[in-house]
Amino acid sequence: MNDTHSPVIEVKNLCKTYFMSGGMSQSVLKDISFSIEAGEFVAIMGHSGSGKSTLMNILGCLDKPTSGLYLLNGDLVSDKSELELASVRGHEIGFVFQNFNLLMKRTIADNVSLPLIYQNIGEKERYERALRMLEKVGLTGYENRFPSQISGGMQQRVAIARSLINNPSIIFADEPTGNLDTATSDEIMNLFTRLNQQGITIVLVTHEEDVADYAKRLIKISDGRKEYDGLRQSYQGRQEAK
Amino acid sequence: MIGQIIREAWISIASYKMRTFLTTLGIMIGVAAVVMMVAAGQTVQNTITESFESMGGNLIIIVPGQSVSGGVRTARGRPSVTFSDVDSLKGMKDVVAASYIVSTTAQAVYGSNNWNVSVAGTTPDYLTVGNWEIDRGIPFTDRDLKSGNPYILLGQTVIDELFGLQDPIGKTIRLNNRPFTVIGTLQPKGDGLMGDDQDNIIMMPATTLRQRLRGSRRPNYADVAFVKVSEENKMETVANRIEYQLRARHRLKEGTDNDFTIRLMTEMVNQARNVGMILSILLASIASISLIVGSIGIMNMMLVSVTERTREIGIRKALGASNRWIMFQFLTESVLISFMGSFVGMILGVVFSQIGGFIFDKTVPISIWSVIISVSVAVIVGVASGLMPAIKAMKLDPIEALRYQ
Ligand SMILES: Nc1ncnc2c1ncn2[C@@H]1O[C@H](COP(=O)(O)OP(=O)(O)OP(=O)(O)O)[C@@H](O)[C@H]1O
Ligand SMILES: [Mg+2]
Repeated sequence: MNDTHSPVIEVKNLCKTYFMSGGMSQSVLKDISFSIEAGEFVAIMGHSGSGKSTLMNILGCLDKPTSGLYLLNGDLVSDKSELELASVRGHEIGFVFQNFNLLMKRTIADNVSLPLIYQNIGEKERYERALRMLEKVGLTGYENRFPSQISGGMQQRVAIARSLINNPSIIFADEPTGNLDTATSDEIMNLFTRLNQQGITIVLVTHEEDVADYAKRLIKISDGRKEYDGLRQSYQGRQEAK
Repeated sequence: MIGQIIREAWISIASYKMRTFLTTLGIMIGVAAVVMMVAAGQTVQNTITESFESMGGNLIIIVPGQSVSGGVRTARGRPSVTFSDVDSLKGMKDVVAASYIVSTTAQAVYGSNNWNVSVAGTTPDYLTVGNWEIDRGIPFTDRDLKSGNPYILLGQTVIDELFGLQDPIGKTIRLNNRPFTVIGTLQPKGDGLMGDDQDNIIMMPATTLRQRLRGSRRPNYADVAFVKVSEENKMETVANRIEYQLRARHRLKEGTDNDFTIRLMTEMVNQARNVGMILSILLASIASISLIVGSIGIMNMMLVSVTERTREIGIRKALGASNRWIMFQFLTESVLISFMGSFVGMILGVVFSQIGGFIFDKTVPISIWSVIISVSVAVIVGVASGLMPAIKAMKLDPIEALRYQ
């Protein structure tokens, strides 16, 4: 790998151990290494409790690894201060959550433009950019409604619009379709696919094979270790061959 | 960035209107109470100062009786200051005028009206010394004093009570059944220091009073004497001279105590002002207890708010809010709440103290203090009660917070 083409994410020997009160500890991630290039569409799968969310939280700079290296856009994340991490989350990362995590008391437009507040962008520009993002996810005209006034699928599209507004280099989605029915899930996954085709890097965690099928690459975690890393199709093939 | 924080904080507290209002109420009542108490204290101080001023500036007061370290030992000392003692002070350097009073009360009767009134037996100089002005008619003279003529000057209240709208000049009224002729009227002064009515007075020559109303075995002794000094900074010197002269006249040996007490009006004004100030501070401190209660109310509400909005805090952090930003947002919320409370409280305090002034017929000052108090309360209470909740919000782990239901 050379300097002009460094991967968006590079993880080396990543370990995460939770230390609990009473001296108990649980090793959740064990020696995980991989890298993700710009423009990839990666699905992370694994059994419940295998450590997917833990991994996503570390990748999303919400948590720090116990040991190992994590480079985001070539920068070592583990060295950063709380303030710098907040700035990385605000500028380089977009989040999509299973339960949407919208502010229920704020309008759709306010929700979409929320990340821009922390970049000190003025109210007018925030609103305009929110409108553009809402257009991207097909929600033009909904800007002044409140989250409680739209469906779950629409709320997730609002969340996606919000994750896009700061032009992040990568979007992390932890089970984005977990709370949605099949038809709505497809709608959301089609949106992700379209965004990916426009060049946005997407990493998503899912339980569902159907959802994972939208991704090109699959990383399978089992009991905190990387069990498979490769083309989604090849993995499916292997399963069927068994 | 401050603008953004204030906007976010404002939207947050505006979305909980009822709760915000109730929380604000505590501060509102507290600030209103403090502003009102300060206004009350200042009104008392002003009243004290005004009534001293209405008695005349640069006055030295001489009362009979010994003084004991600043205070008078007995309520009224044995008579020791004579009329001629006071007259002897008139020629003294820097003395503008000197006068004395012998006082009593009497039943005044005119026609079918009768009225209880204070009577001051005095000298013509008393008008100068006590800042009295003749409204109509003429004052009595030194000749009247010498002869003990039954001429009197009436205060406004006496005129109102006895004569109503009639002209009192030249009329004869009876005091304790003896006739006196009204030769002049006095301009009104209003209430005195203790809320007493200074205009409920009749003045006459001291000799007249002694002869006709209040006889005495020692008719030439005064109840109190006043000396008006030309300049305020001469007061001390003149007081010393008076002491020297009176001691000489009373033939007091060296080492014996004075048989009179000299007090400077300026000192008394300052003492009274201090009392007024202490009163103000006391009232304001009592009122500020309600501010503390209000502040606890804000803290309580903010703590609940932080817990309720745990997930919001998680979302904000995930989307790029730094710990500092979160802390300032919550701090700003509590400052805004206390600011609104103290602003409204200030207005209420001013309005109510004006209403109170109207009811008690006093001019209540609208002072800069109410603004200073409310602004500092807004900041201090807001920060003090918001700090703990804000730090709690700041310390929330975003992952935990996002998981919070
Ligand atoms: N804060 C924590 N303290 C202690 N243990 C934790 C903590 N968070 C997660 N764990 C443990 O780490 C393991 C992995 O959790 P994680 O949430 O990453 O799993 P997951 O793969 O996302 O599961 P799911 O598919 O159910 O979401 C679990 O056994 C969990 O109990
Ligand atoms: Mg999970």
